[in-house]
Amino acid sequence: MDHAEISGLDLPLEVRVHGRGGQGGVTCAKLIAGLFGQLGFHVQTFGDYGSERAGAPVQAYARVDRAPIRNANKVYRPGHLLVLDEALLGPHILDGASPGALLLLNTPQPLAHFGGRFAPYRFAVLDATAIAREHGIGSASVVIINTTILGAYARILGLPLTVLEKAYAHLGLSSDLPAAEAAFATVAMEDPRQTAPIAPAHRAPPPPVKPTLEHHADIPVTLKTGNWSNQLPAYVEPPAPCNHACPAGNDVVGFVQALNKGNSEDAAALLFETQPLPSVCGRVCPAPCMNACNRAAFDGAVNIRSLERLVGDSSTYAIPREDILHPQHIAVVGGGPAGLSAAYQLARAGHAVTIYEAGAELGGVLASGIPAFRLPPDVLQRDLSRILALGIKTRLSTPIGKADLATLAKDHDGVVIAVGFGVSKTLGIAGESAGNVEQGLAFLARVKERPETLSGTVVVVGGGNTAIDCARTALRCGAGTVKLVYRRAREDMPAIAEEIAEAEREGVALLPYRQPIAIHERSAQADVVLAEMEAGPADASGRRSPVATARTATLTANRILLALGQANDHDLLPTGWSVRAGRAYHGEEALAVYFAGDCAGGEGTVTHAIGSGRKAAQAILTRTHALALAKDEALPVAPGQIRFDAFAVAPPHADRLIHPAAFAGNFAETNLGLETAAEASRCFSCGHCTLCDTCLLSCPEGVIAQRGGRYRVDPDYCKGCGMCVAECPRAGIEMQEKRL
Amino acid sequence: MSTQLLSANHAAALSATLAARANRKGKGFVSGVYPITPSTECMEYLCNQKIEKGRVVRVESEHSAMGVCIGGSAAGARSFTATSSNGLAYMVENCIAAANLRLPIVMSVANRTLGPPWNIWADQGDALLLRDAGLIQFFCASNQEVFDTVLSAFRLAEEARVMMPVMVSMEGFILSHNVAPVEVPPQALVDDFLPLTDIPHRLESVPHTLGQMEQPHQTECHRFQHHTAMLGAPGVYDEIRRDFEILFGRALAGAIVPYRAEDADTLIVSMGTMGITAEAVVDALREAGARVGSLRVRLFRPLPVDAIAAVFAGKKRIAVLDRNIGLGLGGVLWSDIRALADPGAVVQNYLTGLGGGDVRPEHIAKIVSDITARQASGAPMLMEAV
Repeated sequence: MDHAEISGLDLPLEVRVHGRGGQGGVTCAKLIAGLFGQLGFHVQTFGDYGSERAGAPVQAYARVDRAPIRNANKVYRPGHLLVLDEALLGPHILDGASPGALLLLNTPQPLAHFGGRFAPYRFAVLDATAIAREHGIGSASVVIINTTILGAYARILGLPLTVLEKAYAHLGLSSDLPAAEAAFATVAMEDPRQTAPIAPAHRAPPPPVKPTLEHHADIPVTLKTGNWSNQLPAYVEPPAPCNHACPAGNDVVGFVQALNKGNSEDAAALLFETQPLPSVCGRVCPAPCMNACNRAAFDGAVNIRSLERLVGDSSTYAIPREDILHPQHIAVVGGGPAGLSAAYQLARAGHAVTIYEAGAELGGVLASGIPAFRLPPDVLQRDLSRILALGIKTRLSTPIGKADLATLAKDHDGVVIAVGFGVSKTLGIAGESAGNVEQGLAFLARVKERPETLSGTVVVVGGGNTAIDCARTALRCGAGTVKLVYRRAREDMPAIAEEIAEAEREGVALLPYRQPIAIHERSAQADVVLAEMEAGPADASGRRSPVATARTATLTANRILLALGQANDHDLLPTGWSVRAGRAYHGEEALAVYFAGDCAGGEGTVTHAIGSGRKAAQAILTRTHALALAKDEALPVAPGQIRFDAFAVAPPHADRLIHPAAFAGNFAETNLGLETAAEASRCFSCGHCTLCDTCLLSCPEGVIAQRGGRYRVDPDYCKGCGMCVAECPRAGIEMQEKRL
Repeated sequence: MSTQLLSANHAAALSATLAARANRKGKGFVSGVYPITPSTECMEYLCNQKIEKGRVVRVESEHSAMGVCIGGSAAGARSFTATSSNGLAYMVENCIAAANLRLPIVMSVANRTLGPPWNIWADQGDALLLRDAGLIQFFCASNQEVFDTVLSAFRLAEEARVMMPVMVSMEGFILSHNVAPVEVPPQALVDDFLPLTDIPHRLESVPHTLGQMEQPHQTECHRFQHHTAMLGAPGVYDEIRRDFEILFGRALAGAIVPYRAEDADTLIVSMGTMGITAEAVVDALREAGARVGSLRVRLFRPLPVDAIAAVFAGKKRIAVLDRNIGLGLGGVLWSDIRALADPGAVVQNYLTGLGGGDVRPEHIAKIVSDITARQASGAPMLMEAV
């Protein structure tokens, strides 16, 4: 090929490539050198390397001449400028470029978008990023465009694509040729439109040679290395998985870390922000926090439930009550966990609260439905008296009907309805009305009042905590054999895993994949016909719904206890009222009447009820419509983000369990919890800085300082290496982009 | 002969690879390597080559890298390594051992500023740490020179009259990462150029020790032998240049490279890439009528004193450019050669491009105008190059 054919080639040629670290700018310049090298020119190319990292602005150079190149300097007067990233188009990018120079820009914009901005230049644009991405060059996040843009460069110079082939083959990049072909076909270019002088800022000459050869002390004595970085670390405090999982909204990591530091008062203060029933939840909560705990992937989840119990049982913290000028009068209907939580939050905020409870005592299912060996009455009483000490009035044995509700709403500034679930579900099979078939909750409530004596075989139907409680209570009432029938697999049982294990240890026989299909009463006993179940197709929640098979077996039982859950079937709304998103309306008029807990579509756990009650209290005070307050949008810290090697293996402190030799009549608590708060030291404190100094010590620049209980990174000197992020044991820091 | 686009780092590695393969019928090749910016590319390239009867050992430090080379060489193998800056500083103890044990190891050094504070850019101070350690030292100015010098360094190091390590320097990034065409000879020609390595004092089946305790007079003798062998090296190098040209059909750059120096009254003296830039400046100034010439010193140890003195004869002004500084005195090249000028000549030292400053033609032109105006030599001066 005759050199004269190359369009606009004015030798010696100097090329400058502007890109970001990782984009392939240096290779781009190498390819340009290779291109001209194989055409018989003398070439030279090099990158302007610095200490910068991926993403930082980078320059690379190439020189082309007919004579050997005798210059080892950077390029200050480029004849060709390739800009791989539009974001780099600052005022200095055209430094030293004369009118008529070639400017090839990677941009999704058409030529017209730039108006006359680059009119003095041979200006060409190409969406190299889109083409390279389409051809899968680089990764999804960092698309490498050097080989693509060269196709456009060849087209502008009037070179056939064939000259690229050898240059690409030399660097092992032949597979990128199709992208170069696409660029060759799509580049848009225009010739210089004016030759008038350009603004001086665009023609900055190379730096001047110092006028004097004597050396002065004019070297910058400090080099702000922060200019080299394109990212800075930020102490972001992403949500810990325990906090994210807690339905009550407890600051789990906060109170556990307070315990870890020995501040039991602080731990109690944090917990009592959201949790009025720590002694209760510290015993009966299914602890979604422990399921989410990142330590589970290391050496076992932190025993958070029992730490909460420790705070609840031992705290002497006086819960403060605000003194406000204009307290509102609020009625809370229902004294179960949701109602208690709402009343607690409202009373703490200084309002006048009255709880209307249909039963003879407060606590709802906590009082009647959870056996004493799991939740001793004095424990519930401790939590209740803390709540009532805030000045809450109670009206016990006061059921609220439709008419009463209308009156309450009229007489109060707001009403929270938290009446729990309605009636217990039934099997809907023949013989269910037999005399020895009974609802489990009724059984539990009666036994809690006055222990009774059972004998023979007791069959419990269900897989939740009520079913387990029934089975274990039946044992304590003297039943010879207790069999628990559940229609799905053992691992599908919604009951707390530790409770299931305890039940089994105590002798309860689990019969999974069984479902009663008929009950035949025979005087004191009854025959229960059990169908074998199979896992069927998955339902909407993803669980496989069980399907009955033709295989059956018959059990003879002295007592059959049903623990199938409860329906939300209350009919308490006065005429003309309706409910939308947890709030009552009279016609179109929004009332200050909110629903909370199981009757508002709760999930049937104490903890959910507590969270729901608190949200209802907030809604009443702010008169907002939605009960569901915004959940933290940030993703919780995942196990992969924790630096396990920063922690020593330390198995969990297990609860102290009592295994009674004989059960009959023994309703003493079987789980004594933890003796000390030492378990708190196992908490990773995911995402939450503990001031452990790891970042400070691992910073190679020494630019992290601790001031006022926080770390501060000096942006003037942080080079953005990310060492602190990599070393932080608990994912409390992340790199954030700096604006160029 | 084929032309390849290579960085100087890769040129050094390819040259060493061809030399390594050329010893396949002899005692093979052993190399110990450890990465450091900006010489890392060289060891990476070497690690990726298939070398018959060759072994490249990746070790945990530069000190050990040279240790591997010493072991291999003491066993009779051809040996090569590459390093830079503080890596070389860490290697120094074993470099001195290699020199005193007269082991013909070739090493490529990508010159980089010694830290701290850390600076990854070009400065010849690292190689010059070993100025007096008994290694032969070359400073190159182009990719082709790096390739040719490394290849010839094996011949020179292993020549029985020389028998000592050779260090080939290239400025970090400016040259090490510069990509340019390099003429590469075929293996067969390299085989002809490099005889099989023969180290007479190698450890063979009869056990003996190398480098044990010696008495003052023995040390005197060893130093004198070493010194004498070094003084003979330029002569041997000239023999090698003749063979190189016959075999490869092109010239191997000499120990010093004068450029339009004969009729010059002002001379720019330098080592490394600044010398190439100086030649371009000489051409430009000559066009304007100035009688300027350039002298590039490629072989710094042993210093070809007579050859330099011959070029200096009759020169009125000599500007010595140093991309290094012997702290407390001045430029290292300047301090070694200033006495070789004619009495009364102005010999002025310009310390420039330290820490990787970009020395452009404008800077060198400014230096020429500065020395032209001088009536007498002054103290070395620092010239900031940005």
